[in-house]
Amino acid sequence: MDSEVLFLFLQQGIASGIVSGSVYALLALAIVMIFKTSEVPNFAQGEVFMVAAYAALFLIVFYGLPMWVVIPAALLFTVAGMMLFEAGILRRVKKALGEPVNLVIATLGLSFLLRGLVRQTGLGDTPRSFPSLVSTDPVQIGQAMLTRLDLAIVGTAVAVMAAVFLLFNFTRAGRAMRALGMNPKAAALVGIDIRRTHAFVWGLSGLVSAISALLIAPKILMTPEMGHVAILAFAAAIVGGFNSLPGAVLGGFIIGIAENLVGLFVSASAIVVTPFLAIMAVLVLRPQGLLGGRPQMRKV
Amino acid sequence: MPPQQAVAALPARASSNLRLGLLVPAVAAVVALALLPVFTSGYVVYVANVLLVYVVLSLGLNLVIGEAGQFSLSHAAFYGIGIYAAALGNKLLGLPLVGCLLLAGVVAALLGGVIGTIALRMRDIYLALTTFAFGEAMQWLFLNWEPVTGGPNGLRIPPSSLFGVEILNDKQAYPVVLGVALLMLGATVVISRSRLGRAFRAVRESDVAAMAMGIPVRRVKIMAFLLSAFYAGVAGGLFATFSTYIHPESLGFQTTMTVLTMVVVGGLGSTGGALLGAVVFGLISELLRQAPAVQEMTYGLILILFMMFVPRGLAPAVSRWVRGRGHV
Repeated sequence: MDSEVLFLFLQQGIASGIVSGSVYALLALAIVMIFKTSEVPNFAQGEVFMVAAYAALFLIVFYGLPMWVVIPAALLFTVAGMMLFEAGILRRVKKALGEPVNLVIATLGLSFLLRGLVRQTGLGDTPRSFPSLVSTDPVQIGQAMLTRLDLAIVGTAVAVMAAVFLLFNFTRAGRAMRALGMNPKAAALVGIDIRRTHAFVWGLSGLVSAISALLIAPKILMTPEMGHVAILAFAAAIVGGFNSLPGAVLGGFIIGIAENLVGLFVSASAIVVTPFLAIMAVLVLRPQGLLGGRPQMRKV
Repeated sequence: MPPQQAVAALPARASSNLRLGLLVPAVAAVVALALLPVFTSGYVVYVANVLLVYVVLSLGLNLVIGEAGQFSLSHAAFYGIGIYAAALGNKLLGLPLVGCLLLAGVVAALLGGVIGTIALRMRDIYLALTTFAFGEAMQWLFLNWEPVTGGPNGLRIPPSSLFGVEILNDKQAYPVVLGVALLMLGATVVISRSRLGRAFRAVRESDVAAMAMGIPVRRVKIMAFLLSAFYAGVAGGLFATFSTYIHPESLGFQTTMTVLTMVVVGGLGSTGGALLGAVVFGLISELLRQAPAVQEMTYGLILILFMMFVPRGLAPAVSRWVRGRGHV
C-alpha cells in the first residue's frame, strides 16, 4: 500500500470514525451518568436506545405524524419510561436487598422485556429503515467522503455533549447529580433531594440515548437487536474510564475511529473484535481507563 | 452473606433431621431421573439433557460469583471452549467420551486460570467488563477461526463412543450426562464444605480480612476462576456428546446472562439454588422456545419481579417454607 492510499484511508477512517464515534459517545455518556450516580451498569441502555427509535417509527407508520411531532414525542416517551423504571422498579429492588448484582439483573430484565415488547408489536419482524430529515448528498472533507446527514449527526451530537457538560458543571441540578455521585449520604445531608435527582439522572440518560438513536436510525437498518450498539458504548465507557463523563466521550471517538481504521486496514470481519481488544488492552495497562480517577478501595 | 447465615442459625439437631428428611426425596429423585428414558419420549430426554448441562453451568458460575464473589461474565466462552475441545478431541484425535470430557474441562480450566490471573488486578465493574470483553472476543474467535471451528457454518460432530459403543441419540447420551452432572453436583457440595469453600466465602466477604487471616487470596481467586471454567468446560463436553452440530451463535453474552439469571433467580451463593434455578429457568426457556417475543417478555418480567420481591432467590424462599412446615 503506497503512502498516498494510506493517507486517503487514514482520512476516511478518521472521518467516518468521528461520525459513528459521536453516537457511541452519546450512548456511553448516558451509561456513565447512570453509573456515576446509581453505581449500576445499565444493561438495558441499548434496548432503551432501540425502543426510542421504534417509538418514533411507530408514530410515523401508524399515525403518519410529521417529524416535528414525532421527535419530541419519542424523546418524551423515553424520558418518562426511564424515570418510571427508576422510581417504580429500581428503587424497590434497592430496598429489597440492594446488592449490585440484583440491580444489574433488574436492568437485564428490562432489556429482555423491552426487546420482547418490540418484537410483539410486529414492527420488528422485518428490518426497517427510518426516514432521514437531512439529505444524504455526499460532502467531501479533505479526501474523505461523508454525507450531509453525517455532518448533521456529528453537529447534533457535539451540541448535546456541550449541553450535558454545561448542565453538569454550571447548574444546580448538575451540582446535585455530581454530589450524589461523590457521596449520597453527604448529599442528602446538605439538602439534596436524592430521589428526585436519581429520577432526573435516569430521565436525562434516556433523553441522551433517545437522541443518539434518532440520529443513527436513518443510517442503519432497524431491528429489535439494534441495541447491540450498547456493547460499543460500554467499550467506549471502559476505555475512557467508567466514572468519567469526558472519558466516555473520548472513549466513544476512540472506539469509532479504531473500528473504522481496522475495517479499512485489516479486514471487515475484524471490526467486531476491535472494541474488545481495546477494552482488554486498556484494562490490563490502565485498569481505571484513560480518564478515570484512581479506583477507590472499598472500605472493609 | 444471608443464605449461609440462615443455615448456620439452625440448631444442629434440626439440621441433621432436615438432612435425613432430604435424603429420602433426593434418592427417590435420582432413581426417578435414572428411569426417565424408560418412560418418556426422546424429546423429554433431550430437554432433560439440556437442563443437566444448564445445571453444570450454573454450579460453575455459582462457584466463582456466588461463593468467591468474583463477578465473571465469560462463562459462555469457557462453555464454548469445552464444546469445541470435546468435539475436536473426538473428531481429530478419536478420543473416547471420557477423554473428551476431561479434555474439555482441562482446556477450559487452563484458560480460566489465565483469566483468573489477569483478573487479580481488577474488581467489581472492571472485572465484570474485562471478563465480558474476553467472552465477546472468544465468540469472535469461534466465528472466525474457520479451519478449527468451522466458523459461521458450524461444526459437525461425529458420534462419541463409550467403551466401544457409539452414542447416537439423546437416550443413549442421557445416562452419561446424568452421571456426570450428579458427579459435578457432589463435587460442588464437597468443595463448598471444604477448606477451599470456606476460603472462597472469606474472600467474598472481604479479601483484606481474608488476607489478614492467612488465606492465600491470590491463589484462592485463581482457583475460583479455574474451577468455574472447568465446570463450564465439562458442561460443554456434555453438550457435545448429545449434539451432532455446534454453532458459535449460541456461545455469546446471551448465554452467560441466561446462566447468571439461573444462578441469581435460584439463589446466589447456594448450591441448591443453582440447581433449582437451572431447572426452573431452563424449563421456561424450553417451553417458550417457539415464541421468542413471549419468551423474552417472560424472562424480563421474571427477572424484574424476582429482584423486586424475592431478591435472595428461590432456594432460601423454598428452604424457609420447608422449615416452616417442619415446625408445625
